[in-house]
Amino acid sequence: MRRGGFRRTVGLVIAGGAIGGALLLWFAIAVNDPASLARPTEGLLIGVWTVFYNTEAPPLRTILASVAVALLLATTVAALEHRVYSRSRRSTDEQARPLAAKLVMERTRGVFAGPITLTVLIPAHNEASLITSTLRALLAQSRKPDRVIVVADNCTDRTAALALECGVEVIESVGNTKKKAGALNQVLAAMLLAQGDNDLVMVMDADTALDDGFLETALTRFTDDRALMAVGGLFYGEEGSGLLGQFQRNEYFRYARYMKRRRGKVFVLTGTASIFRPQALRAVAEHRGTTIPGEPGAVYDTEALTEDNEITIALKSLGALMISPAQCTVVTEVMPTIGDLWRQRLRWQRGALENIGAYGMTPATFRYWAQQLGLGYGVIALGAFVLLTVLMLVSVDTWVWFPFWLGIGAIFVLEKVVTVWKGGWRARLLAVLLVPELVYDMFLNVVHVKGNFDITFGRRAAWGHAHEPKHAWRAES
Amino acid sequence: MTGDRVMTGILLPESFLQSQFFLVLATFVAINTIAYVVLSIVKILPRVYVSDWFTGPNRRAESRSIYPDAGGSAAADSKAPSADEPGSPG
Repeated sequence: MRRGGFRRTVGLVIAGGAIGGALLLWFAIAVNDPASLARPTEGLLIGVWTVFYNTEAPPLRTILASVAVALLLATTVAALEHRVYSRSRRSTDEQARPLAAKLVMERTRGVFAGPITLTVLIPAHNEASLITSTLRALLAQSRKPDRVIVVADNCTDRTAALALECGVEVIESVGNTKKKAGALNQVLAAMLLAQGDNDLVMVMDADTALDDGFLETALTRFTDDRALMAVGGLFYGEEGSGLLGQFQRNEYFRYARYMKRRRGKVFVLTGTASIFRPQALRAVAEHRGTTIPGEPGAVYDTEALTEDNEITIALKSLGALMISPAQCTVVTEVMPTIGDLWRQRLRWQRGALENIGAYGMTPATFRYWAQQLGLGYGVIALGAFVLLTVLMLVSVDTWVWFPFWLGIGAIFVLEKVVTVWKGGWRARLLAVLLVPELVYDMFLNVVHVKGNFDITFGRRAAWGHAHEPKHAWRAES
Repeated sequence: MTGDRVMTGILLPESFLQSQFFLVLATFVAINTIAYVVLSIVKILPRVYVSDWFTGPNRRAESRSIYPDAGGSAAADSKAPSADEPGSPG
């Protein structure tokens, strides 16, 4: 497969799509000559305070058209995703989708590949401060793994020694210059040859603690469904890092809620903790360079900035069935400073764009293109809102209230609060204030634009914080 | 009481609010805001799966357990949320 059909132009395609959509709307409004704004009315509040208010609301037809467009877009994306999903599952194309459920069922009907076993791989680069707690949480699971291997990659600290003290195996990478993906590829190349269909492989970060019940739930799923190729974790943010940490925790709560509402349909098999059936990883290695991009024989794409996002798309392209059950939760690190967060998110954005650029527009990547277009349009929509607010403020000498828009704002607040409700009072308090999260969204929007800019002009991407979570994901806008 | 008083604005004249550019921008933001609030309402409300209301062809035709002799009932009757729900592979 030719790598990089959209490698450099992916940013332009996304930006062009978002700007094109916005311009279309803009011109449609301009030719319809919008009505002039009414002057505000002066009134008394509780008989004491003088207030200006403007009861103007958009014309009914405008409201109805907006509602219809929003529902149509959301429904279309959901319906197309469902269609892609169903067709993929029922595919009989052995060459293009060898992991499709129907084909896997046919191949394995009446065959017993032995009971489920689990080998956990933990790639670690100088993780001495966290490896012990990670291993303790892992070994304390109600269903213990059968084998745990810490893949020590160019460590100069006590990571390997601490792992051995915990009673697990350690394999050191040899001459690896391709970071985590390269280290994993070395171990997987040797290991996968000996794994049967039910000898599962888990890849998890050294700075991630599994919640209890993760392995039991995941392994039950694999036992009940031999066509299931991967189970991904749902991540929550760790405590700490003040307001910046809370912004990230709220984001992660919303993402987990969103995943539950999707009934676990995978968006990204998080690098923090995901379990694979060996045949899925073998199929990825076999098809690289032909039906999916990458170096032939490699499980992980060492060129990808976000290798977990990449392998998710690889598996989807091959028709694999995947799930993120609500019970499979992990706690992961939040970025402690703005600089770290900036680098992490820029890497995610850049990685996400590179991945869809490398795969091009296919049924498997449709949802990811739609997400990027949605995010791109969100940048324009939020930017226009801020511009309007500023222009309004500098064009009047008195504060004017807009009851209609206050009502709309109240719905936004409600949504923000409801979607983080399970995060506790701090999450709710931050959500109810609305403006701080809008500012955070604007920060993420700047990252989005910078990521598109960098990829378009071929700027080298940074790898970021040493301990940053390796899952590539961004919340739905 | 009506708002007939003259508004001078801080940086821009109040007449800017009646300009074509501002009116188009205001309508553009209004349409977007309403569209996004619709999506917010969708996120607040419980998600509905129409397939839950129906049974029959959407049930699995056979067990997918790793144990070949597990029989078809457990998986076939289960309505627990699953990645591949609804549907059988064929």
